[in-house]
Amino acid sequence: MKVWTTKGEIDRDELVVTDEITEEDNARVFATSWHHNGELVRRDVNVNILRGLELKGEQQDV
Amino acid sequence: MANTQAICKTFRVDLLKGLHAFGTSVVRAVTTVDTFKMALYLETATINSTTTAYTATGELAATGNYTAGGVAVTNATEPANTGGTGIVAFWTPSGSVTWTNLTSSGSFDCALLYNDTSASDRAVGAFTFGAQSVTAGNFSLTMPTNNLTTGLLRIA
Repeated sequence: MKVWTTKGEIDRDELVVTDEITEEDNARVFATSWHHNGELVRRDVNVNILRGLELKGEQQDV
Repeated sequence: MANTQAICKTFRVDLLKGLHAFGTSVVRAVTTVDTFKMALYLETATINSTTTAYTATGELAATGNYTAGGVAVTNATEPANTGGTGIVAFWTPSGSVTWTNLTSSGSFDCALLYNDTSASDRAVGAFTFGAQSVTAGNFSLTMPTNNLTTGLLRIA
């Protein structure tokens, strides 16, 4: 299988792949780094937004 | 029966659907749904609650397969107020927002959701996720579950 990189397509077997998962306040981030001969040639990131934004106001008596 | 002072439950959903026009003049002319976009911002940018509209300042450079203004979000979901007491109105894009074969011009940590149909590209919300960089790869924002507790936009 070929993988697209900064150096064009490279055989998957020639790449070292590292996955990293980090937690932010409101997101979980999955990053995959692809190295070729020690050089970063591709990095993918997926951000899972865990919770959106809320506009909130309390109802009060007049 | 008794009367109870309250904001009507449907009002919040109606706001998300643009069914009310307060003020002294009608500013909406279109009868079709608006297009919303998400743009990405460098961690050195200043996007926050005071941001009123899309800005190119601090946005990723239009290189490495990134286009200024970002990409459209998929909007096939009706705003709703289902679940719970029906008070919370919510809306979430119906799909992930994705950039393919992207090489970011720098480290970025924010996406701005804005109304691209609006003449002034009015801002909706800023979403942060920790500094990231992408090299010859894909970047995607997966949306939260569309409900009253996690929906991307909620009016409570």
